[in-house]
Amino acid sequence: MTVLDMRDVRKVYRSGDAEVVALDHATLAVDHGEIVALLGPSGSGKTTLLSIAGGLLAPTEGSVVVDGEDITGHDARRLTAFRREHVGFVFQSVNLVPFLTAEENLLVVDELGGGKGGRAARERARALLDELGLAARGSNMPSQLSGGERQRVAIGRALFNNPGLVLFDEPTSALDTQLGEQVMELIRREMKARDTAAVIVTHDTRMTHYADRVVRIVDGRLTADPVPA
Amino acid sequence: MFLAWHEMRRSKLRFGLLTGAVGLLVFLILFQQALLGGLITQFIGAVRNQSADVLVFNDQARKNIEGSIILPEQAAAVAAVEGVAVASPLGESTFTVQADGSETDAVVFGYVLGGPGAPTTLSAGRLPTADGEAVASEKDEADGFGIGDTVTVLGPGGTLDLTVVGVARDLNYSVSPTMFTSFDTFAAAKRVRNGLAEGTAVLPSVLAVQVADGADAEAVVERIAAAVGGVEPLTRQQAVDGSPGVSSVRTSFGVILGLFYLVVPLVTGLFFLIVTFQKASALTLLRAIGARARTLVVALLVQVVLVMALGSLVAFGLYAGALQGVKNLGVRVEVMPVVVTSLVVLALALVTSLVAVRRVLRIDPLDATTGAGVHL
Repeated sequence: MTVLDMRDVRKVYRSGDAEVVALDHATLAVDHGEIVALLGPSGSGKTTLLSIAGGLLAPTEGSVVVDGEDITGHDARRLTAFRREHVGFVFQSVNLVPFLTAEENLLVVDELGGGKGGRAARERARALLDELGLAARGSNMPSQLSGGERQRVAIGRALFNNPGLVLFDEPTSALDTQLGEQVMELIRREMKARDTAAVIVTHDTRMTHYADRVVRIVDGRLTADPVPA
Repeated sequence: MFLAWHEMRRSKLRFGLLTGAVGLLVFLILFQQALLGGLITQFIGAVRNQSADVLVFNDQARKNIEGSIILPEQAAAVAAVEGVAVASPLGESTFTVQADGSETDAVVFGYVLGGPGAPTTLSAGRLPTADGEAVASEKDEADGFGIGDTVTVLGPGGTLDLTVVGVARDLNYSVSPTMFTSFDTFAAAKRVRNGLAEGTAVLPSVLAVQVADGADAEAVVERIAAAVGGVEPLTRQQAVDGSPGVSSVRTSFGVILGLFYLVVPLVTGLFFLIVTFQKASALTLLRAIGARARTLVVALLVQVVLVMALGSLVAFGLYAGALQGVKNLGVRVEVMPVVVTSLVVLALALVTSLVAVRRVLRIDPLDATTGAGVHL
């Protein structure tokens, strides 16, 4: 079943009389449990596509349906609720709240959703950290964690609400190859275990073999057939 | 609360320093307000804490009781004005007296016993019921103005003994020991001081007016002003506020206090603006993962309220301690000014924090992807 269904999506930026097309009639569908690597050079539009899929950015044209919810015409308030409830994000650089411990960085998702960080939420946060190999690091501050550990906590946070779709924006770019491999293995394992769809934006071809499918993007255009067989 | 509380817990030094700074500044406001209140009470407490609803001054006295004198025909005309129930003489003058074995200056007020102009803040003893008895300012109790003490008025006309039968709070005038006695005793004291023959008439400084039941003091003031020439009637509060010493002290302190009321919220607003800039990336991340702007704004405002509340508690502790050391200035620890000041400062701090709130509201969650380069 399709979790992400983007059809004919365009994103155009206007600067005075000039028009810059960041995404040009992009169509992409991702199924439950499927991991898609979105590969492209810097400035090709891959983060724009990711931002539109995650409700961070509204498309100029086309339609976006995630987890059965058509977010194409959502206003900012509804997009915020959509991001909170249906999507997990792992960003490249800023990923954790610096004044919260690793465990609290997971619990904040519960808080933002109106939860009170009760026992059930704490148990879930601890179970996730344990699963990610961070059982002993729950009370550590982000500054006390290594780069790889920080990314693993971010993955835990992205999975905390059991989203249908997790979007990764260059998750290994700040890590060395060995750590990058470990993180990618972890992502694959966790996504498959939960049957969660994932789109991983990367420009590193060494990491694409962890994906089920590779979609290339150049100048805002998807160049491979994006629809899974 | 989750975000606000955890951030404050993890940044104890930063928030502690701000709380300390707020505490010190609010303490300075409270202390100066107490000092101002104490000074005014010592200047004019006797006028504030006497029972006349309206005081009628000579219009050339410029609201200064020391320079005022009321003629008998003026007194009669005032008594005839509609709304005036009683208009009786009230005298005021400064005398050299002997108290507790030493000479000092003291202010004596003379009123008609049982009429308007009597002290209203009696804290021990009783009001005078006969000539030669007096109520003294409580603050000077230990200096020979306590109940049972005899205070002797000195002058070329001889001496006159006053027996203190009661003491009253906040009863000073012109920062001097002050006594309230009968008008006849006051007149006798003036004759002693000025070496006048017995029976020489002594005119009152002002008229103490009690308005009729149901009459409005301000309306009576207007009627007296319209009906009687050469007088300036004032309600009790107008007489206090208009006193030349009081208004100049109030103006000076007002400028200083105004600056402090400006500085506290500016410091707080600036602090939270800087903190908001410093944690902009964390706030962007939170917005990207679905935090409502309102959630982040509430967290910010909760921090402002907590800092101001804790700062006010610090200020109250300092204020209560400091006032113990300046009791002789007639100041007292009072909770209500602390509560009012804290609420005013909190309201101002919330207003200045709106700059930081605006910054939070302008955060674009898309910036969370900046590191990946949404650049074209």
